[in-house]
Amino acid sequence: MAHQVHAYHMVDPSPWPLTGAVGALLLTSGLAIWMHFHNMTLLTLGLILLLLTMYQWWRDIVREGTFQGHHTPPVQKGLRYGMILFITSEVFFFLGFFWAFYHSSLAPTPELGGCWPPTGITPLDPFEVPLLNTAVLLASGVTVTWAHHSIMEGHRKEAIQSLTLTILLGFYFTFLQAMEYYEAPFTIADGVYGSTFFVATGFHGLHVIIGSTFLAICLLRQVLYHFTSEHHFGFEAAAWYWHFVDVVWLFLYISIYWWGS
Amino acid sequence: VCSLQLKAVINAFLSCCLVNHTVLFTGIPTDEEQATGLEKVIMKAMKQGEDPFNMMKPKHYAGSKADPHLVPSITNKRIVGCCVCVGEEDNTAVVWFWLHEGEAQRCPSCGSHYKLVPHELPH
Repeated sequence: MAHQVHAYHMVDPSPWPLTGAVGALLLTSGLAIWMHFHNMTLLTLGLILLLLTMYQWWRDIVREGTFQGHHTPPVQKGLRYGMILFITSEVFFFLGFFWAFYHSSLAPTPELGGCWPPTGITPLDPFEVPLLNTAVLLASGVTVTWAHHSIMEGHRKEAIQSLTLTILLGFYFTFLQAMEYYEAPFTIADGVYGSTFFVATGFHGLHVIIGSTFLAICLLRQVLYHFTSEHHFGFEAAAWYWHFVDVVWLFLYISIYWWGS
Repeated sequence: VCSLQLKAVINAFLSCCLVNHTVLFTGIPTDEEQATGLEKVIMKAMKQGEDPFNMMKPKHYAGSKADPHLVPSITNKRIVGCCVCVGEEDNTAVVWFWLHEGEAQRCPSCGSHYKLVPHELPH
């Protein structure tokens, strides 16, 4: 064991920050090349490198925490701060898109017909699939809380069941939203309505997929006995992220789907 | 069948001897059972009321000759920052000094007593 007088974790040298940076560079430049010259090589390479980096970096964190015991109370506190700060940054990310939506919808220009929804746009009925989606995500918030309590109380079977249910609800939301996208009478190219609608809900959908993936990893770890009834921060981080995704949807539903119709 | 019987025997034995063996009963281990490495060392120390890695605030002492501040150290000297003289509101005027092994030293500003207590590196 490392001979240290402090409870912090001095991480071993790792190549993943470098591979991540290179991957991000290839991804961004690849995106530009794809958009202008119709070539996906750089983009694909960047994506693969980034996915490999994420897998190996997070795998190493699990090894350091669960298998080597480096996640002492102060280290865990730092991880909590980190996740909270990250989610806060994501809140600001979405705040921008809400700003864009309200900027355009509160004072609709003459080109739109001076009204919102703009002339020619038939918005989705907020009381059909969007309402179902709201119920699905709220229910998933309940099941993820159930999973958390199951873990804290040491009930393995219930934890696995409730976590699986949460993930299934997440998939159901994604499926429903994909159907909505396919059937929608308007596209992203339909003026500022289309832009604000699909960019805001699109990024939200991406975050649902990310959140579901995070929860799925937690399910795998729970099955493999990684979590203890006191120490299961990976799961808590996933649950926080999932609640954040749920709250963003609620704002989207109220603002864009309901008020915006 | 033999291994099933063996499992039942072990289960019975453990449930008699161990009070809180949750893995056998409900399936999720506790830190007591599964913690490892530094996390385990700290957990064990905290259960005995010890803080070898200085995670908590230093213990409170009177600072007098009879009850000096005891300062743990892994070598024969350690830097001390005295806040006693300054008062709680103003921590921009901490008095820093080296505390050496041996007789208790006094803070150059307020005169509180400090004594170095050498001990082993926590493993």
